[in-house]
Amino acid sequence: MFEPLSPFEIQALALSLRVAAAALIGLLPVALALAWLLARVRFPGRWLVEAFVNMPLVLPPVVTGLVLLSVFGVRGPIGGWLREAFGVTLAFHWTGAALAAGIMALPLVVRPLRLSLEGVDRHLEQAAASLGAPPLHVFLRITLPLAAPGIVAGVLLGFARAFGEFGATITFAGSIPGETQTVPVAIYAALQRADGEPAAIRLAVVSVIVSIAALFVSEWANRRVTRGRSDL
Amino acid sequence: MKAAAGLTRRGSLIVLFALAVAACSSRQETASPVTVFAAASLTDALGAIAQDYERETGRPIRLSFAASGAVARQVEAGAPADVVILADHPWMDRLQTVGAIRADSRRDLLGNRLVIVAASDATIDGDPLVWLQHTGGRLAVGDPDSVPAGAYAREWLTGRGVWGDLRPLLVMGGDVRAVLAFVARGEAQLGVVYASDARSTQAVRIVLEPPADQQPKIVYPAALTAAASPEAARFLDHLRSPAAAARFRQFGFETLD
Amino acid sequence: MSLAFHVRARRGDFDLDVAFASPARAIGLVGPSGAGKTTLLQGLAGLTPVKTARLTIDDELVVDTEAGLAPPPHRRSVGYVFQEGRLFPHLQVGTNVGFARPYVADPMSVGDALRLVDLEGFERRWPSTLSGGEMRRAAIARALVARPRLLLLDEPFSGLDHARRAALIPHLLRLREEVPMIVVSHDPRDVEALCQDVVVIAAGRRVS
Repeated sequence: MFEPLSPFEIQALALSLRVAAAALIGLLPVALALAWLLARVRFPGRWLVEAFVNMPLVLPPVVTGLVLLSVFGVRGPIGGWLREAFGVTLAFHWTGAALAAGIMALPLVVRPLRLSLEGVDRHLEQAAASLGAPPLHVFLRITLPLAAPGIVAGVLLGFARAFGEFGATITFAGSIPGETQTVPVAIYAALQRADGEPAAIRLAVVSVIVSIAALFVSEWANRRVTRGRSDL
Repeated sequence: MKAAAGLTRRGSLIVLFALAVAACSSRQETASPVTVFAAASLTDALGAIAQDYERETGRPIRLSFAASGAVARQVEAGAPADVVILADHPWMDRLQTVGAIRADSRRDLLGNRLVIVAASDATIDGDPLVWLQHTGGRLAVGDPDSVPAGAYAREWLTGRGVWGDLRPLLVMGGDVRAVLAFVARGEAQLGVVYASDARSTQAVRIVLEPPADQQPKIVYPAALTAAASPEAARFLDHLRSPAAAARFRQFGFETLD
Repeated sequence: MSLAFHVRARRGDFDLDVAFASPARAIGLVGPSGAGKTTLLQGLAGLTPVKTARLTIDDELVVDTEAGLAPPPHRRSVGYVFQEGRLFPHLQVGTNVGFARPYVADPMSVGDALRLVDLEGFERRWPSTLSGGEMRRAAIARALVARPRLLLLDEPFSGLDHARRAALIPHLLRLREEVPMIVVSHDPRDVEALCQDVVVIAAGRRVS
């Protein structure tokens, strides 16, 4: 059981890393925008936006997958249009797996982002504005760097969640080796086989290692970012 | 603007890192692969044939196995398959009706037989099905709605008049290999699988094999999908070659001429 | 007239309406806690919403909300120094002080600004390592780099002991000639040494 990983397992790991990274890159701007909206802007129907953002957290993941299939599948409104206009198919492709993982990770990323945005001292932003910085620069030079610890935490939490996503992935993206068979899906597939337990256990160990690594990197990044800022 | 520039530099570094991870994990491909979606019972046989083919021609073959029902639904939903091999006609008919496969490429490729298996070290007295009902064990079958092996099992057992009695004892598997795994792990005392599956693992042995006149007609159709490449057609032809046929027989399938 | 302003604002039950004009270069704004001093100052800087605001600096109309002239804070050229300075904690002192340089046509150099407040050589220090008085002086230097037309100082003396207060005053006196300023304090003695004219407000209205 402690042999090095087989090509099948390496493929699952590489695919999982790629899918999770793509999911994070895609969802970060969305999460930032939503976090900003919820932290700073007062508007009617706020609670609706909050509820929507939190939905993937409480819905059964397979239901989220089903919704994705109905909307982004080739016979769905958006999926059909994507195929007609750009020749792009998401369902049962790694891009679809990234979409599923991104949606499931979204609420976990928005929350710490929003908290850290709320925690940024408004006076500092006002000081920057009074010094001539237009709103975009205030955001990039003051708000974002000060919110950085929360952003790092959110991104890593989101990455771990995206890496471990199963229910929505297997419903919307299936279990295609090299394309959508991420580590959790591969573990499930291995367990379906009579002789698959050792492979499943090896992959499970890999998952644990990735999670621990994510936690370490999060801690390290946090320390670097807050270096010199003893008041934070 | 040093502070802003520093920030943008850090930001782009992160993006570059992520893209590098993504790029590194891309498969290095010299030729674009032929993607085959096939019924789960073909796992070992197709795996071996694909390996042979890759070695001879250098063209990579990508294999994805699931129950025929799952395969059909995925192909219908746009999954990137070039060649489809299923374990019964109804699922292939469905794909043909929606135009997902090229009707002129469809051929019946293989046959198979149903068997009942038990764990290798199990002790069974007399007729396995009667024994099962007396000891109150469980019978693993594929889900008849999506697994042809389950549909064939239902057909056979209904023909023997015992399906109704066995219903309370059933455990459904998502594909025929899952059924095999249930028996191998002892979660079900008996399971209905193909003869080819029974040969794939030492953990189970055949305890009942219906004679030919009681076997359901099991046939594996194969076809190209609507968007398949010429390379895919070549692989499909290869599957009907004598070399491939020998391999299939080696793994317990029946070849059709 | 160096300075003329009129600000009206409402915060819940609190109602502010203060008008003032003076040729003085340093004007003190004094009153008890809750009188509206910070609201008035922030209204002039454009950092807080007001009902109406009018601001004339050196006879030039800078803000007149009723006439539609209401530039956002980053275009108002009104420097604002918060209580306790509020340096950006994630930037070194030099970067803090030079923050406004990209946004101003002819900014002061960081070195010059630091020299004006006696913080030469502090460029690479981190804000968390500065004393209270040093932080305030750095914040003043930061505001000066932008060459504001008006400098607003919100309680620059609060929390400083007598010795440090006395040390800060000469710097502000020097600045008086460069740029007109409004200095807020709840203690009238603080502004005596510095300001040539004083506005006293209480409960949102001028008292003298």
